[in-house]
Amino acid sequence: MHTGHYISGGAHGALILWLLLGGVFDSAPPEMQVADVSILSEAEFAALTQPRAAPVLGAEPEVLPEPEPEEAAPEAPAEESQPQTPPEPEEPAASEPDATPEPIAPVAEPEVAETPPQPPAPEPVPQVEAPEIAARPTPRPAPRVAPQAVPEPEPEAEIAPEVQETVERSETPDSTADEEQEATAPEAAATEIVTEAEEPARAPAASVRPRTRPIRPAPSEVAEQEASPASEPAPAPERPPVQSSDTASAIAGALEEALGGAANGAPEGPPLTDGETNGFRIAVQECWQVDVGSQAANVTVTVGFDLDRSGRVTGALKMLASEGGSGAAAEAAFQSARRAILRCQGNGYDLPKDKYDHWKSVEMTFNPENMRIR
Amino acid sequence: MKQIVAALAALLLFCAAPGIALAQSGPLRIEITEGVVEPMPYAVPDFVAETAEAQQLGQQISRVIADDLSGTGLFREVPREAHISQVTSFGSPIQFADWKAINAQALITGAVSVSGGQVTVKFRVWDVFAGTELGQGMQFAGTTEGWRRMAHKVADQVYSRITGESGYFDSRVVFVSESGPKDNRVKRLAVMDYDGANVQFLTGSNSLVLAPRFSDDGQRVLYTSYETGMPRVHVLEVGTVQSRILQGQDGVMSFAPRFAPDGQTVVYSLTQGSNTDIWAMDIASGTTRQLTSAPSIETAPSYSPDGSQIVFESDRSGTQQLYVMPASGGEARRISFGEGRYSAPVWSPRGDMIAFTKQNAGRFFIGVMRTDGSEERLLTASFLDEGPTWAPNGRVIMFARETQGAQGASSLYTVDISGRKLTRVRTPEGASDPSWGPLQ
Repeated sequence: MHTGHYISGGAHGALILWLLLGGVFDSAPPEMQVADVSILSEAEFAALTQPRAAPVLGAEPEVLPEPEPEEAAPEAPAEESQPQTPPEPEEPAASEPDATPEPIAPVAEPEVAETPPQPPAPEPVPQVEAPEIAARPTPRPAPRVAPQAVPEPEPEAEIAPEVQETVERSETPDSTADEEQEATAPEAAATEIVTEAEEPARAPAASVRPRTRPIRPAPSEVAEQEASPASEPAPAPERPPVQSSDTASAIAGALEEALGGAANGAPEGPPLTDGETNGFRIAVQECWQVDVGSQAANVTVTVGFDLDRSGRVTGALKMLASEGGSGAAAEAAFQSARRAILRCQGNGYDLPKDKYDHWKSVEMTFNPENMRIR
Repeated sequence: MKQIVAALAALLLFCAAPGIALAQSGPLRIEITEGVVEPMPYAVPDFVAETAEAQQLGQQISRVIADDLSGTGLFREVPREAHISQVTSFGSPIQFADWKAINAQALITGAVSVSGGQVTVKFRVWDVFAGTELGQGMQFAGTTEGWRRMAHKVADQVYSRITGESGYFDSRVVFVSESGPKDNRVKRLAVMDYDGANVQFLTGSNSLVLAPRFSDDGQRVLYTSYETGMPRVHVLEVGTVQSRILQGQDGVMSFAPRFAPDGQTVVYSLTQGSNTDIWAMDIASGTTRQLTSAPSIETAPSYSPDGSQIVFESDRSGTQQLYVMPASGGEARRISFGEGRYSAPVWSPRGDMIAFTKQNAGRFFIGVMRTDGSEERLLTASFLDEGPTWAPNGRVIMFARETQGAQGASSLYTVDISGRKLTRVRTPEGASDPSWGPLQ
C-alpha cells in the first residue's frame, strides 16, 4: 500500500545523498592569475605621482636651438637585439622644466640580412559556378611553415623529404622491371602562417544570387499536355545522386530535415523591414476614412487581398474576420477598409520588388478602437 | 553540467525551428489603428431627364440628394464644374477613370421621367475605385408634388448603401412654430420635412402649445395645450389633424408627455399641489399608474427603445439631475454627476446614448452620455440651447437655439453626435420644441 511512498522516499534520499556527497555543488577553483610586481619606495612613488608644473610662456617665443642628432642619437640596435630590462626610475628633475628639451632622434632602421623566400605563385583558382573570388592571392594554408611552399600531398603518399611517384607492378610482361615503391611526398607546408583573419580573402566578393523559382505551367497548359495523346510523356529526369561529400547538399538536406519541409513554402529573400512595412501601413491608413459615430466604428475587420508585382491589388478583396458589431456594421467596416486599400493604391504600393514573395499576399486588420468617440 | 544545458538548448532550438519558419511564411500581416475623419467625396450629376417635362426635376432632385448627403457631415460633394464625364443616359457605361481623376469615391447617377402627373425616379450608386455598382438600381414613383420625398428616399438609399446604416432624410419633424415679439409670441403646432421644407400647421394660433412628441409610427402627436387655461395633454392624429384631450382631470396640471415605444402607453408628469410625479396611462383604457412618489419634481420622462426603462429628470438631490428607473416604476438610479443642472433627457433610438440639456455657468449645452452616465460629451454651447430630439437612426440631434435680447428668436439646429457638423434648419418662422418622427 505504501510501496509508492517507500520508493519515492528512497529515491529522494538517494538523490539528496548524491547531491551532497557526489560533489555536484563543488566547483573547480578559478585559475590563479600570476603577475610580476615590483616594489617602489615611498620616495619613488612620490616622484612618480608628483604633478608637473605647467611651463611658463614668455612674451616672445624663444628660438629653439637646432638639435644635434649626431650627439644625441643612440646607437643602432644590434642585429640580434637582446631583451632590455626596464630602466630604473630616475630622480625627477627640478620643478621647472627644461626650457630646451632635447629632440629624440629617430630610431635607425635595423639592417636585416635575411631576405624572406619568395612565396610560390598562386595556383589558378578553378572557375566554379557563381561566386566571384577576390583577386588578392592568398597563400595556401598549411599547418607547417617552411622556406619552400609545398602543396598538399596525395592522400596515399607517405611523408618523406623526396618526391617519388608510385610504381606498381605492371601486368604486362614486357614492362620494364622497375622496383616497386610507394609514393612519397614532403609534408605540406606554407611560407607563412595563415590565420583565420586572412581567410575572408577567399570569400566571395558578392553574395550568390538566389536561383529563380521554376515557372509553374499554367493549369491550361497542364490540361493541354494531359489532353494531347500524341505527346509522349517526357522521361523523368534522373535525379543526380547525392554525394555525401557535397557540403551544400548536405546542409540543404539537414535544413529540410530540421524544418520539416517548411522551408520550401517560405518566401525567399530577406523579410520586409519595419520601415517598408510602416510605409505600406501609412499609405493605406491615409485613405481609411472612419465614421467615428457609426456602428462600424465598433468593428475590427481583417481584409485579405493579393498584390501583383507592381503593388496593385489583384483579384477580389475578402473579409477574413470581423469582431464586434452587427453583420451590417461589419459589412460597412469592410467596405470602408476596401475603399481605403483600393483608393490609395494608385499605380501600386511602394514595396520592394525583390521581396515580392513577402508581400504578394496581405492580411490587413483595421482596428478603429483608438478612433471611437469617447 | 554545461554540456547538458547546451544539449537542452540545442534541442529547444531544433523543436522551435519549424514554428519560426511557419511564422515567417504566409501573408504579410499589418494592423491599422489610425485612420482619417473626413467626409467622403462623391459626385451626383444632374439626373437625366428622359422626358421633356422632367428637365427641371432632374436638376432639383439631384440638388436635394446632394444637400441631404452633404448635410450629414459624412459626405462632400465634388462640384459639378469639376466633372470630366457627362452622364447623358442612364444606361450608358460609367467612365470610372474620369471619376477617379476627381477623387470621387462614390457616384450617383439617375434619371427622371414625368408622365401624366406621375414622376418616376431611378438611380444607381457606383463604387468608383472598385469599379462596381453598390447594390442594385432602384426606382420610385409618385406625384409631381412628392418629388422632394422621392429625392429623400434616393438619398436614404445611398446613405444606407455606403454607411451600412439607415438614413433619416425621408422623415418629418413636429415642432412649435413661433411668430411675433418675444412678449407676445404666437405658438402653433407645425410639421415639416426634416430639412425644413413643406411646413404644415396643425393647430391654430388661439392657444399656447408646448412640447409636441411624435409617436413611434409617426401617426400621432402628443402635446401640451393651454386651451382650457390649464396645461393639458392632447393627442393629435396627423392624418386627420383631429385632436383630443388625453387626460382631463380638473385642477391638475399634466405636461411633458411621451409615447411608449409600443404606442399604447403614455408617460407624463402630473402636478398635484406642490408635488410633481411621473405617471403612465394606457391610451385605450384610460387607466393611470403612478411611477414615482418622491416629494420632489420628477418630469421629462423618456422610454428606452425596448420600453423597459425610463430616464427622467428630478431635483430630489437638490439640483436637477438625470435618473433611470424601470418602466414599471420603482427604485431609480442617478446617472448624471457633473456640474450644473441636467434636464430634458431623451433616449437614443439606437439605445446606446441619452441626449440632454445642461445648464452651467450661465450657458446651456446639448450633450450626450452613455445610458449609465459615462462618457458625457457636450456637443453645443450657447446662450440657450434646449429640447434635444434624435434622428431616427440615432446619428443626429435636433434642438432649439434661442438668441439673446428682446429681439431674440428661436430656431432649430442639427448636430451630429460627434459634434463636428452643426447645421441650421431653415424654417419660415421661429421654431422650438422639435420632435423627430420616424423614417417614412
